[in-house]
Amino acid sequence: MSSDPPARAAMPPALDEAADELRRRVARQFGRSLHIRTLDTGSCAACEQEIRMLAAPHYDLHRLGFFFTPTPRHADLLLVTGPMLRAFASAARKTYDAMPAPKLVVATGACALGGVYQPDEFSYGSVAAQLPIDVWIAGCPPSPLALLQGLMVAVDRMAEKASRLTFIAGGAL
Amino acid sequence: MPQWFVKGLRRGVVTTRYPARPDPLAATLPGPPAFRPDALTGQIADDLVRICPSRAFRRAPGTLIFDAGACTGCGRCRDRAPDAVTASGEFELAATNRSALVKLIPVRGDASTVEVIA
Repeated sequence: MSSDPPARAAMPPALDEAADELRRRVARQFGRSLHIRTLDTGSCAACEQEIRMLAAPHYDLHRLGFFFTPTPRHADLLLVTGPMLRAFASAARKTYDAMPAPKLVVATGACALGGVYQPDEFSYGSVAAQLPIDVWIAGCPPSPLALLQGLMVAVDRMAEKASRLTFIAGGAL
Repeated sequence: MPQWFVKGLRRGVVTTRYPARPDPLAATLPGPPAFRPDALTGQIADDLVRICPSRAFRRAPGTLIFDAGACTGCGRCRDRAPDAVTASGEFELAATNRSALVKLIPVRGDASTVEVIA
């Protein structure tokens, strides 16, 4: 198995536009019903706790058309947590490869985003080292509301907000 | 859980209205900090880079580089400088681009602010 990350970022502009169009089509297709496979690549299970809370009555993600599935073969979206342990990388790639296209990958939590662990002999330090990521959900752990927003962003039912935030108090935060 | 049970008995619904309407509990969630550039000095910025356990801060001349994706919301930066760092109350942090979570915060009194922002 190659350790090179998938080259999604290095696409020429024309391909980039095609990718955007594909994204929009995927969003239309996934707009009403989307099956999620969760993948733990070495997280502390705080993210899993929050993901499990999504199905609780207060959040009830099923009302929005999201469902959890026990197998990647039935999944439209891979919800990945943890810093991608090297020992788990081939399993992660196999999970991704087993999903039918079109598929989305969502990196969940600060470890998966490359925040907590540096790359070392045990982990890659970021999920992006092994999987092509469509949406990044920040938080440690992200609250169920943050996960809901991330899922809605992934299927283009909500606008992404992060790029407009300045994190400057008193300004247009 | 008990509050939800009572609320459910009284109103019949426990489920949040989010995303159609804001969730009142969202304000109580731990989250990344927000900064007051007029109180954020170079000394404080250097300290934040040093104390952040998840390396969410980096430093450039005139700028504090804050990576909201790496932030764990632990609050150490707020404890170090309560005047310059506050809670943002922000939780809608999903990004389609990793670099959208990296923010440049201007630092007061650092000489080369203009050069970095431009």
